Amino acid sequence: MTGLTLKGRGIVEGHCKAEALVSSKPISFLGGVDPADGKIIEKNHDLYGECIKDKILCFPHGHGSTVGSYVLYSLAKRNSAPKAILNQTADPVVVVGAIIANIPMVTQVDIDQINTGDLVEVDGSSGCVRVSKKEKS
Amino acid sequence: MAPAVVSGFRKKRRAEKKLHLTREEEQIYDGEFGWANQVCMKILVRLGELFNATRLIPISSAHISGVSYKTLGDAPIEFLKNMADADGKAKVKATLNPQSFSPEYLGKKLPKNIREKQFTILEQFERMGFTCSLTCTPYYLHRPEAGSHLAWAESSAVVYANSVLGAWTNREGGPSALAAAIIGKTPDYGMHMAGNREPTILVNVEKPLQNETEFGALGIHLGKILGNKIPLINGLKNASEDSLKQLGAALATTGMTNMFRRDASSEKRGIEKVSVEAEDIKRTIEGLSTAARHEPDLVFIGCPHCSLDEIRHIAGHVEGKKVKQRTECWVCTSRHNMEKAADYVKTIERTGAHVLADMCTIVSWTETLGIRTIMTNSAKTAYYAPTLNKAATILAPREECLKTAFKG
Repeated sequence: MTGLTLKGRGIVEGHCKAEALVSSKPISFLGGVDPADGKIIEKNHDLYGECIKDKILCFPHGHGSTVGSYVLYSLAKRNSAPKAILNQTADPVVVVGAIIANIPMVTQVDIDQINTGDLVEVDGSSGCVRVSKKEKS
Repeated sequence: MAPAVVSGFRKKRRAEKKLHLTREEEQIYDGEFGWANQVCMKILVRLGELFNATRLIPISSAHISGVSYKTLGDAPIEFLKNMADADGKAKVKATLNPQSFSPEYLGKKLPKNIREKQFTILEQFERMGFTCSLTCTPYYLHRPEAGSHLAWAESSAVVYANSVLGAWTNREGGPSALAAAIIGKTPDYGMHMAGNREPTILVNVEKPLQNETEFGALGIHLGKILGNKIPLINGLKNASEDSLKQLGAALATTGMTNMFRRDASSEKRGIEKVSVEAEDIKRTIEGLSTAARHEPDLVFIGCPHCSLDEIRHIAGHVEGKKVKQRTECWVCTSRHNMEKAADYVKTIERTGAHVLADMCTIVSWTETLGIRTIMTNSAKTAYYAPTLNKAATILAPREECLKTAFKG
């Protein structure tokens, strides 16, 4: 396994390790994600049908209604939240959602370096992100 | 010793950050005042850091959006409940945006389940000491003093506060306004800094605007071209507050601008200039009128909620008349204004029109009621109705709306 370390800006503290789910599109949590099970329900989204539960969710940034913050809280209460959130740029909807749901979050991460399926270790305090690339078969 | 470790950690954390917290703010951040306060403080600190604020400043009021069950859904109910259970209490005057129905009229046409969920949401806010004002015009309840700092969500009220009332507020989201209400403070950035309130573009309106709908159209047009620039708009000197309300609501609908200026004294040399032609206004109004036929199911006035002046004008215009059959006519306002203008309200309701409090038509259940075409004087409503209400629109000044709704 090859690895690399990315440095971002820690927003919500916490340490975890899980598989990455990577999107090149912004996510609107209100209307875009099913608050019951964490499935992406926004049609035309590149993650449509995927489940964000227990993943290191990587996407450029959030968009849409500020109610989206509460959706992250609901997901966490139902154990359907991502393990951590990595963004390129932080926007208030996702930041507030990660805080109230207590999901480790790092921004200013070059998510282009991460592929779905990579094993990612996140330190939300230091903003350190370690990526172990998935073996190519 | 545990406390020493905690304070050591705290010092380390703060040393890295440019946002300075007072001792009490630090204690709240560290959870010494309970979970509700801690989570709210974290929201303010993290947002502040994100926008490079160096401190928190006290606010005189907060206004919270995200109240209607129709837009919120079930997601926030749990959070609000947990906040109230953990003794979250508003430290400053805190008001709420409208819900999706008026209890007296539309509420009766909706399933019990929806009414109950809405009631549960309001109950949590009430437990936290919020005023269930249910209006997008909190400034009619308490007019903030010029120069006071606020944390208001509801974009139309934000522009009105900054531009007409001279108060200072960013455009908050629902959760950040909630956090500000509970802490009584907001991070000092954006519209709270004098330097960010200077006009950066000069707008010349070539033909004087004739009515509130043209003011709204100007807002829609400018919102699209300004980005987040603050315009100094020439020719608004004698505009009524009600017309400026339409301008601000529309400006915030299509753009990120949180303020317009209208005082020539704020004019600066050398800033960018743009002119708005009569044709721009005309085309904007035409673009916001999507209905093929001039036969609205609903004639609606009150986005943003009507002022006392507007209610009085409407009453004067419709007194003794009758609303046409198969036409709904709604006048939306705050409960506060509805009670203050009780006599005018009676005059309007005798015609068959409805004066509705507590609700926002754009987020109401018009589709369920079979309303397919909405006529309104509000550019903001006309902008949103095709998507949010799945309705065709007719945008026209108030007088014309009333003429259409009433016989004779």
